[in-house]
Amino acid sequence: MLRRLAATSLAIVFLLVALPARTARRPQYGGTLRVEIGAAVASLDPGVSTITPDQAFAKSQIDSLIYESRDPDGSFNGDVGSGPFKILSWQPGKQLTLQANEKFRDGRSFVDSVEITMGRSLRDRLLDLELNKSDLTGIPAQEARHAAESGVRVSQSQPDELLALVFLDDRPAINKTRAREIIGQAVSLSIDRAAVVNFLLQKVGEPTGALLPQWSSGTSFLFSTAGDVPRAKELWSQITPSPNIVLGYDSADALEQSVAERIVVNAKEAGISMTAVANPANKSPKLDARLVRLPMLSPNPANALNEILQNFSSLAGSALIPSTLPESSSPEDIYKREREALGSYRIVPLVWLPQVYGLSARVRNWTAPAPGQAWPLADVWLDTNDKSSDLKD
Amino acid sequence: MTFRSKLFLNFMIALLLAVGLVAAGVTVVTRRVFDQMNAEHTDAMVAQFQREFERRGQDVAHRVKAIAEEEATTRMAVDLSRPNADVSVYVHDARGVSSSHQLDFLDFVGNDGAIISSEEYPARFGYKLTWVTQPDDWAMRGAFLMKVETDQGPALGLMAVSTVRVGDRDLYVVGGERLGKEFLESLVLPADMRALLYLNLDPDFQEVNLIDKKGPAADADRFQPLVQKIEGDPVEQTERISWGFDPSNSEVFHALPLPGRQKELLGVLFVGSSQGEVVSLERRIRWLALGVGAVGLLLGLLLSWWGAARVTRPVQKLVTASREVSQGNWNARVDVRGSDEIGQLAKSFNQMTSQLVEQRERLVQVERVAAWRELARRLAHELKNPLFPLQTTVENLQRAREQNSGQFDEVFRESTGIMLSEIENLKAIVSRFSDFAKMPQPELAPVNLNEIVRNVVKLFEPQFGAVGRPPITPELHLEENLPIIQADATLLHRAIENLILNAMDAMPAGGVLMLRTQTIGGGVSLEVSDTGTGLTPEESERIFTPYYTSKQHGSGLGLAIVQAIVADHGGRISVESESGVGTSFHIELPASHPHKPQVFPMVFEKKEVEV
Repeated sequence: MLRRLAATSLAIVFLLVALPARTARRPQYGGTLRVEIGAAVASLDPGVSTITPDQAFAKSQIDSLIYESRDPDGSFNGDVGSGPFKILSWQPGKQLTLQANEKFRDGRSFVDSVEITMGRSLRDRLLDLELNKSDLTGIPAQEARHAAESGVRVSQSQPDELLALVFLDDRPAINKTRAREIIGQAVSLSIDRAAVVNFLLQKVGEPTGALLPQWSSGTSFLFSTAGDVPRAKELWSQITPSPNIVLGYDSADALEQSVAERIVVNAKEAGISMTAVANPANKSPKLDARLVRLPMLSPNPANALNEILQNFSSLAGSALIPSTLPESSSPEDIYKREREALGSYRIVPLVWLPQVYGLSARVRNWTAPAPGQAWPLADVWLDTNDKSSDLKD
Repeated sequence: MTFRSKLFLNFMIALLLAVGLVAAGVTVVTRRVFDQMNAEHTDAMVAQFQREFERRGQDVAHRVKAIAEEEATTRMAVDLSRPNADVSVYVHDARGVSSSHQLDFLDFVGNDGAIISSEEYPARFGYKLTWVTQPDDWAMRGAFLMKVETDQGPALGLMAVSTVRVGDRDLYVVGGERLGKEFLESLVLPADMRALLYLNLDPDFQEVNLIDKKGPAADADRFQPLVQKIEGDPVEQTERISWGFDPSNSEVFHALPLPGRQKELLGVLFVGSSQGEVVSLERRIRWLALGVGAVGLLLGLLLSWWGAARVTRPVQKLVTASREVSQGNWNARVDVRGSDEIGQLAKSFNQMTSQLVEQRERLVQVERVAAWRELARRLAHELKNPLFPLQTTVENLQRAREQNSGQFDEVFRESTGIMLSEIENLKAIVSRFSDFAKMPQPELAPVNLNEIVRNVVKLFEPQFGAVGRPPITPELHLEENLPIIQADATLLHRAIENLILNAMDAMPAGGVLMLRTQTIGGGVSLEVSDTGTGLTPEESERIFTPYYTSKQHGSGLGLAIVQAIVADHGGRISVESESGVGTSFHIELPASHPHKPQVFPMVFEKKEVEV
């Protein structure tokens, strides 16, 4: 009994001494944080517009590192280099090297410099992470599981990007309001959202029938995500003659393509005639519906819902909801607004996706950014002493 | 048409038939040979397809089995055999595996038939392939055709199934190759053959589903009837398809139905054989046959002409001799040698003409004797009438002289007057006979027969209505625009005069005398009819015989003279008579008379005599 007590005491002492020593390691200054991104930013000039959403997002992240602050409307304040970093070297579309701004008002960043390599493919980025040639990169949600199984250290944000199907206002196949609703409902009921998440997204993300994620509104679970193929068939049979729904997707987005193809299979199973067509950004074929990915731009649910509805309205071609919700709206009002917006079945929410990041083992103090926030690279420090990868965020 | 022409024509027809039959026979035989060659080619192609199909099937089955036996597949099967196994991790596995095994289609199917991962239709995971779980010995079945659903639409696949069993759960590996243009490319075809594949993947015929090794085939709609025929009766069929008016642009297609696992028609393989070379060869043979036929015909023409001439020469001689005989040369002979039928005919002809000459001579002698007898009888009859008064007068004169009568002078004067009168009669009789003997030859000149008829009738008009005798009514039916003929107007006048006199003698109780002229082919005709007593058939037979008469008076030369005049004009005369009704004389005269007048035969055996 005494022996057992002594052993237990020794173990407790070890834990009390050893664990704090590891977890309470002090932040270290210095080092170069190597970031790789897929987009290639051609110019840092605020007057030059970007071409793709990825480029816009990357430029926005870079701007948040070199400008002092950002206004609520999204514009940045101050001069270039007034932010936590200054530009050390710039190769348009290839590489940007930032140096720590010693005079930044919120204090110097932990790392001495940040080296952002642009235009890297996902395969190269994951390989560089595994080979410890990179410290941070973005990973598509559907690749998160595979990356993690490959040994990559993965960090996920809260689900903050909505993948949804939007029926366009000038869709040629459907021209009556009631028919639009029936078709939208039939399509929504035919989709197996769980299969999309489980198989295509490899269990990353959450199936949804709501315009806000569960963590934001708290009412997402009230919007059914269950499919009902018999009901979808019944609804579709009410449409005569049966149109062929042309569903567009971004040809550069592998996830959108696979989800679109799955939706077509689900629709076909329910007897709905649907065709998926690639819809490159520079082309605009006649579509009845299209898949869209909309990021949540505010952690505030009311603001986020307003922005999402605004974006959907611009995509659909007409306003879904005439007015906006005040920032301080109650959860009930937000829920009601969601119901109101989804009642016409012009928007069919499918999945809420998280942002997924791959990290090297030496990256410390990384927190996946909240909706609308920039990458917290100024807070990140590099553990130059411990290169093991036993610490997982 | 001459006998030679007919014979030649018959030879030619026979030759043409023979050449035609030979040409047709050559064509038929050639076509059969080509069809047989074509069928052999097609059979070889079909056999090649079946071998290739079988080889590929075995290959597919082997590769699918190899996938099933891989360690990764076994691990998957083991993992999926666990309770609450996560199948989502395998959703993309089919793509890599199919690529490494060069399969177009690959599905990993769970124990319940749900698709775990699909190469050809990645988005179809979770849905069930119920047919896979149905009881079947997949290991023994081998490869089979199947309609495969893909994300690009249905396709035709050569599929195989292999199973991996862990515990009581099966993992099905369903893999295969696309049966399409790549498969057609692998078939080694002769230059004039091609293979097409119809993928029977839609309820109705779709033109895009007919492919060749380059992709969708052109003019696919032409195959629709054949596909539909095979759908109704899924057996091998052969049909020719023409791509234009030129037969060389046609192809013969052998259609091979491709059934699926449950005998449903999933495809049709068309093995097409171009008829261009065959038609070209057929044409060359046909032209050659035509050339040989033409040469044969030419040769046959010459031989036929020579043969016909050889055969018909004796016949021609017979014809010539017959014509000479018909023209009066009864001494004509045929010089034909040989003992065949023609030779015998010639001999018979010669013998016949000899007999005819002999018979004619005998007949002439008989007729001559008869004529002389008739002449003697007529002369005796004619001379006896004046001789009797002469004899009586001379006897009276002698008696008066012997009686020395004082009236002798008066008797002498009366007797000499009577004697002179009778001697005048004798001279007149002699003169008539002399005139008949001296019938002149006609002097031909353009003559209007109607005009002559009118003149003669006008001459007789006083006698027709003469006082003391019953009237005769003349009726003239003269055709207007009667053609002018070459004739001697004086002689015709005399002939018509004799016919009218004859008619008047035949109508002692009066009657109707009808004269009719009309145009006949190549000349004119004259009909002189009376309503007199008519003639008996015997009289009709002899009416034209010189010195024959049915009357109590007359020399019997009138109608003989008429006949002689008609004959001298190259015409002919005939008589129709019915006792108690009347008599009609028909004269036909040619418009021109190029030939020399013929000697009128002295014997008439028919009523109608052709001169």
